[in-house]
Amino acid sequence: MSSKKQYWMDAADLRQDPEAMKAREAEFATPMAIDQVLGDSNLQGANTNRRDFLKFLGFSLGAATLAACETPVVKCIPYVSKPEEITPGVANWYASTFYDGQDFASILVKTREGRPIHVKGNPRFGINRNPSLDKGVVNARINSSVLSLYDGERLKGPRKRNEGKLVGTKWSEADSAIDAGLTAASAAGKRIVVLTNTIISPSTRAAVAALKAKHATVEHVQYDTISYSGVTNANLKSFGKRVFPSYDFTKADVVVSVDADFLSSWGSSNEYQWQYATRRNPDGAMNRHIQVEARMSLSGANADQRVMVKPSEVPLAVIALHDAIASKAGAANVGGGLSNESLKHAANELWSAKGRALVVCGSNDEGTQVLVNSINSMLGSYGSTIDLDNHTWFFQGDDAAVAQLVKDMNAGAVGALLIAGVNPAYSLPNASEFKSGLEKVGLSVSFSRYADETASLCGWVCPDHHYLEAWGDYMPKNGQYALQQPAINKMFDTRAWQGSVLKWSGSDVKWADFITETWQQNLAAHGGGDFASVWNQSLHDGVLVSHAIPATAASFAGDISAAGAAAKQAASGAGEWELSLYTTEAIGDGQHANNPWLQEMPDPLTKITWDNYVCMSFADVRKLGLPDYLGEQSPAGVVSVKVGETELKLPVVPSPGQAEGTIAIALGYGRGANGERVGKAAVVTDHNGERKPVGQNAYPLASLKNGAVSYDALNVSVSATGATYPIAITQTHLTHMDRHSVVKETSFATYKAGDKEAYNKSHTLAVHEDVNEDGIIDSRDRKPVAAFDLWAEHPVEGVGHRWGLSIDLNSCIGCGACITACNSENNIPVVGKDEVRRSREMHWLRIDRYFSSDTKWEAGREAGESKISLYTKMEEPSASPSVFFMPVMCQHCNHAPCETVCPVAATTHSNEGLNQMAYNRCIGTRYCANNCPYKVRRFNWFNYVTDKFSEVNPAWDDLGRMVLNPDVTVRARGVIEKCSMCVQSIQAGKLKAKKEGRPVKDGDIETACSAACGTGAIIFGDLNDTNSKARKLVETDRAYHALEEIGVKPNVSYLVKVRNTEEEAHHA
Amino acid sequence: MAQGEKLFKGNCASCHKVDAKLTGPALKGVKAKWEGKGDIYAWVKNSQAYLKTGNPMATAIWEEYKPTIMTPVALSNEEIDAVFHYVDNWAPPVAKVVDNGPAAPTDEGSNNWLWLLVLALLFLVVGLSLSGVKRSLANAVNEAEGHGPLPETTRMQTVRAWMWEHKVFTSFLGLFLVVWVILQLWDAAWVIGVYGGDEVPHYKPEQPILFNHTLHAGKADKGNLASNGQYCHSSAEKSKHAGIPSTNVCRNGHKAVNAGRSEAGTKEIQKIYAHAGWDPDKGAYTGKEEPVRWVKVHNLPDHAYFNHAQHVAVGKIECQTCHGPIDEKMDVAEQWAPLTMGWCIDCHNKTEVKMAGNGYYDEVMARLKGDEKLGHHELKQYLEDGKITVKELGGWECAKCHY
Repeated sequence: MSSKKQYWMDAADLRQDPEAMKAREAEFATPMAIDQVLGDSNLQGANTNRRDFLKFLGFSLGAATLAACETPVVKCIPYVSKPEEITPGVANWYASTFYDGQDFASILVKTREGRPIHVKGNPRFGINRNPSLDKGVVNARINSSVLSLYDGERLKGPRKRNEGKLVGTKWSEADSAIDAGLTAASAAGKRIVVLTNTIISPSTRAAVAALKAKHATVEHVQYDTISYSGVTNANLKSFGKRVFPSYDFTKADVVVSVDADFLSSWGSSNEYQWQYATRRNPDGAMNRHIQVEARMSLSGANADQRVMVKPSEVPLAVIALHDAIASKAGAANVGGGLSNESLKHAANELWSAKGRALVVCGSNDEGTQVLVNSINSMLGSYGSTIDLDNHTWFFQGDDAAVAQLVKDMNAGAVGALLIAGVNPAYSLPNASEFKSGLEKVGLSVSFSRYADETASLCGWVCPDHHYLEAWGDYMPKNGQYALQQPAINKMFDTRAWQGSVLKWSGSDVKWADFITETWQQNLAAHGGGDFASVWNQSLHDGVLVSHAIPATAASFAGDISAAGAAAKQAASGAGEWELSLYTTEAIGDGQHANNPWLQEMPDPLTKITWDNYVCMSFADVRKLGLPDYLGEQSPAGVVSVKVGETELKLPVVPSPGQAEGTIAIALGYGRGANGERVGKAAVVTDHNGERKPVGQNAYPLASLKNGAVSYDALNVSVSATGATYPIAITQTHLTHMDRHSVVKETSFATYKAGDKEAYNKSHTLAVHEDVNEDGIIDSRDRKPVAAFDLWAEHPVEGVGHRWGLSIDLNSCIGCGACITACNSENNIPVVGKDEVRRSREMHWLRIDRYFSSDTKWEAGREAGESKISLYTKMEEPSASPSVFFMPVMCQHCNHAPCETVCPVAATTHSNEGLNQMAYNRCIGTRYCANNCPYKVRRFNWFNYVTDKFSEVNPAWDDLGRMVLNPDVTVRARGVIEKCSMCVQSIQAGKLKAKKEGRPVKDGDIETACSAACGTGAIIFGDLNDTNSKARKLVETDRAYHALEEIGVKPNVSYLVKVRNTEEEAHHA
Repeated sequence: MAQGEKLFKGNCASCHKVDAKLTGPALKGVKAKWEGKGDIYAWVKNSQAYLKTGNPMATAIWEEYKPTIMTPVALSNEEIDAVFHYVDNWAPPVAKVVDNGPAAPTDEGSNNWLWLLVLALLFLVVGLSLSGVKRSLANAVNEAEGHGPLPETTRMQTVRAWMWEHKVFTSFLGLFLVVWVILQLWDAAWVIGVYGGDEVPHYKPEQPILFNHTLHAGKADKGNLASNGQYCHSSAEKSKHAGIPSTNVCRNGHKAVNAGRSEAGTKEIQKIYAHAGWDPDKGAYTGKEEPVRWVKVHNLPDHAYFNHAQHVAVGKIECQTCHGPIDEKMDVAEQWAPLTMGWCIDCHNKTEVKMAGNGYYDEVMARLKGDEKLGHHELKQYLEDGKITVKELGGWECAKCHY
């Protein structure tokens, strides 16, 4: 019998995809980079023949030798009078606060020689602090914010508008002109509007009040870029308080989230993250999380159960939940809810956890939110999981007031407009109306740090400080205060915007003094002791908790039937396609789009960098005939998305977990589309060599509905354009192909049953000896992997230190804060979209994302399916898959395959268990990268500190270089680099212990990633210290090593993911 | 006397000199002046309180020095006596002629070369003329003997013929020369970029202010000031950098010492005042500061991490171990050690870790000696010779210095 075996290279080969086949005809997929490598711009284009080349070579060799003989004279310039607290070479940490209208966090700022270089969460105080770990949660945007301090495109002084352009001016000139303008406006009786993001600062409020005291027509309008008006309005209707409540996920046994991405962007997510994580420990009281949504969000990816609904079905799903619970509670039904078994089941679970349940909803529709309030009220959540007494002060913005302002501006009723902290010309759905109205405003002043979309249209720009240069105070919640202190003197001729407002109100008080005065008055009102000591302590801690009111149950007073009617109204008018707009973990609402660390951070789910795109289900992608595989040589298809008259042309990314018939587009992209200088990385050179904004602005697709901005469009037309667009994606495979040696998952019930082999099977290998003594040597004769060794044992066990990481797949929510923290700590270069597309990103730490597949290997084999067809199917993710996040950094193998192949011994093992990398020894053979089973080694293809990378690499210019960590080498072209387990911090921690003459304590040393991980997924410690947390975790039954069967003995271990998925869901 | 000196330096010297006015009056002979005119002990212990008694002597001094208040001093009468005893018997140090100025620039090295060259040329001329003489003599002899003159050959031909005759010798000589040149180049290559150690002249750049380390830090018995080096380089115990003192630290010391031991020295002190923005005549700051741009002497490559605190505070290494006899013969700071990697790891190989009394190392030892089942032969054998060197605790590992 003759059979012809078939081999294929990948899925495209198997399908005989004509595009891919054509691409394969060339021997090298891409032109070799050799000309770029040689690429001195002087050499390029010159008619260099071989002889000339040799001459150049000879000359440069000679010149280099000669130059090497000459020591450059290095100057050493000490302070004239050294500030007492600064010791050169020793970092100072200052407690401060980050607030930008969307995120709030208490932080610590690391400064070296007066330069802020790193930001992490405050481990001792603040609402974002995880008390069980003593770590503060900060998301990627917050720990990347230190980079924007050194953005060369920041305005370097005040600007005024002259003949349509912004030109430099003096503060004195600006002050007198603006003062005159304000006086004229108030004399004419016109509105003077201070348009800001939500102000949670008591002193800022007092400053605005001072302006109002001078000019009677001053009004303060608050505008949240991402609106929560629907939520706060609903709370006004339900409880008489227009506030955003405090949620407590630590008390919630059952969490049902309807379209609220509370782990990533919704509400006070830095607080929810740690609260949620404390309830995901399978050894404690594990919660149950059900997510109802259209797009696979970060919260959906972490959920135990996910219910897919379309955006138009979200209000109906809430009605269904409401009615199911109301029936149990004996309350009135609304009727007309979505008929869905999973929702009924969810309602049952909620009811059985009454008083320990929580429903959150991401809709910005007031009617829907009133129903959610009703549900929570029936479940007894108020006073337990929801606190209205100690409510937050976030999201006070009022969309209706903003809409009225735009109308008044166009009617010429606004005499002066002062804009702080927001960018309405970019982010309003009706931005064009705002722009036309702005022309009719007599005096327009922006406090923006950049000449951005709004500022470039204003008459005056009075640039504000960066938050690391400024004083500030905040009241995130009732009775909780936070202070922001400058970590560096102002670098440019800027002024705190509150200081400007104070000046124009006729006050000569400095902004910093104004804050102390306000505090002194407020504390006196609370009868609070010796002010100087309270102030100093608050400044030291960054936080002051003055009083807390016990939470009480609130009585719901909303109108259910009116709310139900409004919700149904919001659900009506659905067309063929529905769109939901969302914000990503990296870019958020778009104000940080100029931060290259964030742009290069892969999206947790799609793994795409440097773009926004249309998320679409696989079925829909195929229906439209678009490419369903994306890679370096496989660009995405472009579709036209039309909402009413507004059209966007964006690439399509097939996204598992996206409901069919729906699409999703990220907000916050497309900054600087009209040539505004909004910051360095927001506008970059694309693959055609044109300078273009990163992504496109999707805010115009939002609309004002029922007094609040709606981020859903229910009637959208989507059509393929036939064009393609290259996408920079860091992970092209979607599933883990049923390989349980990489990620391991189990159910809560299986875990609780206690049989380790059932969920964390140890690996064995067949041997040629009769192990089971049955007289036959066969595949049943097996020994555990630990018994095999190619290498001699490394002397790290039991003696000295042995550093290691334990990574809990259950606590990892995939947020990516560790990636940017690592960038900041380890001077990791940003390489830009084009290089990421070629898989040359330099991140030392990546988060692998795996979708589950419906096809299982063993089941398929038993059903008699062929291997080929099984492999193909296993590559296909489920329509609504479960998701795994797996942070992968260098595993610091004790038997490292990379070390044995290095021809120059540039990578070696330390007797503390670290896999060391000596850059100056490395000659760039890349054998180690080839031999690394985890693919964590990165090669410096270029010298990233050159003008080629000037658009994206922060270390390019003198200003950007200030963000570098002076304890870590900046790597040169041609060498391999990888995670060092923050050896600089290990050495510093050891030195501190030695100086104090004591052993290193657990918690003394943190890597950048472990310090950034407020959910406690990454734990660092000494594995030889039997009391260390990391050691204890490694010894639990859930611990395993990735690819354990290859026997490389990593010092990084993982803990099996446990999902609370069983039908008889386990509640605490 | 010794006690008096100690007390004087500890309590008084920051405001009083023995023989000249400083912040307060000169102290020599003060006790005699006060004799019978008031209670000097009460005055010293708490001048403000004593002033209130209305003593005319005290009032006169107050009028002269106010508003500077003399801080109360917690000394007993005996101790105060000891101070005055020391002060009254103090003699100015014998002005030793110590030439601390920079050495006159000499160019000895190149002079030697020049002389050698002249000598070599001289020899060549002599040799050539001698060979000419020899040739003429030989010709004369030949003529006398009737052989006719020697054949006309160029000198080159003669040399070649000689070499051909002595093939073996020439080959060996040639080989030797080639090997010698290669070895010389090899040796020279080793010291490229090395500016300290035994084999190369030490890097000793000219500094904007001619600060004399030996004068400041040298031993007192040799006429030096014996200040503690870590008064100026205080961060050596805390930081990776030893730190260069801020200009104000220099000014602090030189507030009292405004004259050098030579005119040139006084000029240098004036430079400090200029940089610190200090007007010594008015005793006030002018506000015109200008940091001193010192030239860095010890330059490590960027990829090498070195931490002073580790070596000074933990390793208890003396400054001189790496920086040379800075207190004995280093008027101008120079790079003493070669600062090569070989030099670093050589020291790491020899130096014993000072473990005694350090809880950190107690834990390390406990783990080394701990559970027999754990550990590793390779590490346990470190204990055999009874001492632990830096290398044995990982001091030769790449990531101890390179990251």
